[in-house]
Amino acid sequence: MEARLELKGVSKRYGGVRAIRHADLTVAPGTVHAVVGENGAGKSTLIKIVAGAESADTGTMAFEGAPVSFSTTQDALAHGIQTVYQEPQLFAELTVSENIFVGREIVRGGRVDWAAQHARVIELLDTIGLPARYATRPVGDLSIAEQQQVSIAKALAGNAKVLILDEPSAILTDAEIDVLFAVVRRLRDTGVSVIYISHRLDELFRICDEVTVMRDGETLGTWPIGELTVRKVVELMVGDALQEGGDGSTARSVPDGEPRLVLESLASEGHFDDVSVTVRPGEIVGLYGLVGSGVAEIAEVVYGMRQATGGRILLEGREISPKHPRAAQALGIALLPANRKAQGMFAFQPISFNITVSHLPLMSRARVWVDRRRETQVAKDMITRLAIKTPSEAQPISMMSGGNAQKVVLARQLVKRPRVLVLAEPTQGVDVGAKEEIHKIITALADEGTAVLVATSDLSEALRIADRLLIVRAGRTTREFPPGASQADVLAAAAGADEEVPA
Amino acid sequence: MTTSTEPSPSTPPTSTSLPPTALKAARRILPPAVTGQERVLVVILVVLAVVLSVATPAFRTAGSWQPLLSSVAPIALMGVGMTMVIIAAGIDVSVGGALMVTAVTTAKLLVDQGASLPLALLAAAALGLVLGTVNGLLIAYGRVNAIIITFGTANLFQFLGRQIFASQTVNGIPGTLELFGRGEAGRTFGLPHSFLLTLLVAAAAWYWLRHSRPGRHLYAIGGDPTAARLAGIRVQRLTLMTYAVTGLLVGVAAVFTVASGTSTLDQSVGSGRELAVIAAVVIGGTSITGGRGSVLGTVLGALLVQTVASGTTQLGWPSQLSDFFVGVAIAIAVGADLVRQRTRRAR
Repeated sequence: MEARLELKGVSKRYGGVRAIRHADLTVAPGTVHAVVGENGAGKSTLIKIVAGAESADTGTMAFEGAPVSFSTTQDALAHGIQTVYQEPQLFAELTVSENIFVGREIVRGGRVDWAAQHARVIELLDTIGLPARYATRPVGDLSIAEQQQVSIAKALAGNAKVLILDEPSAILTDAEIDVLFAVVRRLRDTGVSVIYISHRLDELFRICDEVTVMRDGETLGTWPIGELTVRKVVELMVGDALQEGGDGSTARSVPDGEPRLVLESLASEGHFDDVSVTVRPGEIVGLYGLVGSGVAEIAEVVYGMRQATGGRILLEGREISPKHPRAAQALGIALLPANRKAQGMFAFQPISFNITVSHLPLMSRARVWVDRRRETQVAKDMITRLAIKTPSEAQPISMMSGGNAQKVVLARQLVKRPRVLVLAEPTQGVDVGAKEEIHKIITALADEGTAVLVATSDLSEALRIADRLLIVRAGRTTREFPPGASQADVLAAAAGADEEVPA
Repeated sequence: MTTSTEPSPSTPPTSTSLPPTALKAARRILPPAVTGQERVLVVILVVLAVVLSVATPAFRTAGSWQPLLSSVAPIALMGVGMTMVIIAAGIDVSVGGALMVTAVTTAKLLVDQGASLPLALLAAAALGLVLGTVNGLLIAYGRVNAIIITFGTANLFQFLGRQIFASQTVNGIPGTLELFGRGEAGRTFGLPHSFLLTLLVAAAAWYWLRHSRPGRHLYAIGGDPTAARLAGIRVQRLTLMTYAVTGLLVGVAAVFTVASGTSTLDQSVGSGRELAVIAAVVIGGTSITGGRGSVLGTVLGALLVQTVASGTTQLGWPSQLSDFFVGVAIAIAVGADLVRQRTRRAR
């Protein structure tokens, strides 16, 4: 049968970074085709090229046998290539019906034909398993999962021939995933080709027909799902299956001692249900989970940005429940937030301000005015200590590279030595060299006696830095790995293949 | 199943040919005609009118409410345009300055050129359109921040207005515009023509925002401009249009303003009007962050603002109390919008 979509020899560069070296992708009509790979393997870039949001540097693309080249998303839409992104692109104040038809309303005599739209919307809602009465609800009143279903309905209204689902299950509960899969199967049976992006590998075996694996910007090949297992997919994704994650040289000896931070069956409704972790002074404990597993929110609860709805947090044996970051700070807990730009940086302010802003009482004379000399001194100390590359402490942080900016944000947490340091995605968007240095800083802190908890969805980082690694899956801490566990074992456990992993 | 009561795709959507059940369903699928906030405003206005009528019998006389309606007209008319601007998440604080320029230009045309009513109306509308288009081009295509740039053009327009005034009041304005004036010639069935025309424009705008494609697109733009662009909506063109329409309506409001005054026009014309207009829009339930609002609310808001001002005067209270009441009304309206958005986000 003729392929619905065929990409050959596609490559894409962003500045000096090669996001895709060489990718081939052939999607047959009426199939569900998974594209998998680790973060940074090039999946999202490939999807953007198919959706017309980016154009490839080299290579060819054919749609139903005819060569095509998309320079805008509109070009792709015109061929019936619809994308449902992870974040719903909907208008909260408009009704479900209006959202589905926005931009292509049915107009009669200069007036929107509400009745005709409504009738079609009810059909679509039926297809995706939402009640008809939802048609007239403002989208802002729906849950995130329902909003995603509306996004799919919206894509279907445009007569999709290829439907790209980008991590559709990341924000859904199990019951909602069942509904999603039912919808996807129904679409496949009507001849739609579905390109399915997911980190949860166990899902692929429930829904997909073929799997294309990407690693380091290259497609390794496409396999029918019947020839694969979760274990096999993982091995393809991480490459050399025998390569050990920890290379041995970094194995640290952790002093025994009373636990400093204990999370007991901690829960935060809608994010995670049962997380139990113990961190001793001087120890680095890693929490590894896929995007959407709840791992990012755990850090926020410990730092008081989010409230726990169950379980306990113990700091040196004493139960605490920080209500806001200030309270957590006072207890000696520091956080390096996941979203540096939104949660960590004062972009237009100089480095010195960014470092000292949380510690102004320390910088002040008589707690009234800021002692500029002391502020500069502290900033200079930190710049030296963390090897921050900058001509001066007066440089605005927005002019720095990701890695250096992250060091500045980290420096702020280190002005007073924290008893507990919580890091969420500490090296996201940071280049390799800076990554190494940040890891060294974290290790040095632990050596000085700080209890460190690292929440990350970066597998190699989790393996490299943690003395003990806990897997967070579907909101629960499941397995624990010692340093030196293999990438394949850890990823398989996080992606949902316990049963296949030899104990 | 509910589907049985819904109109099937083959059913013509014209209300006359629908069976009663389908008619009911069809009405239900439209955006709500009157929002809760608008109902509350109607109640407040009625209560206010009753209270004022009891407290000052003079309020009941035509000599009291006719000027009131005349004063509502320009605010509500500019408010119609401002509602579109704010629904699309913009703002225009230059309408006061634009009103000054168009009003003085119109007055000079009448005095110096002896312009006729149609000519004056046309000239004012055209000039207003130009001023609004300047704002719109800068905001939609120059991508500058709306509040800052219209603040800038407001000053610019005031400068232009003062230049045209040339430090003098415009005297001896002839009665050419009496059709929109406060005299007997300016009324039909006791209602000022300016007010009637405003109602007509407001009704058309209300229908357009509710039922036309571009009208609905304004709500999408205000909700999320990036998503709107991806949905194939002409964001820039529509944004430009909202400011241009506002400018055009400012021009007509300037005619009302000149017509309703005495034979002289001084430099205070238009001063602070942008605040009254924005107050009317916000009190009417249009969200200042965009994506939500209606012209009906704006007209009610304008009525409330002017009734409060008129009532305070007639009760013999100090006029700053009127500012106080309007301030409270704005705070309540913004608070209501905030509470609505918070409860939604908490889901």
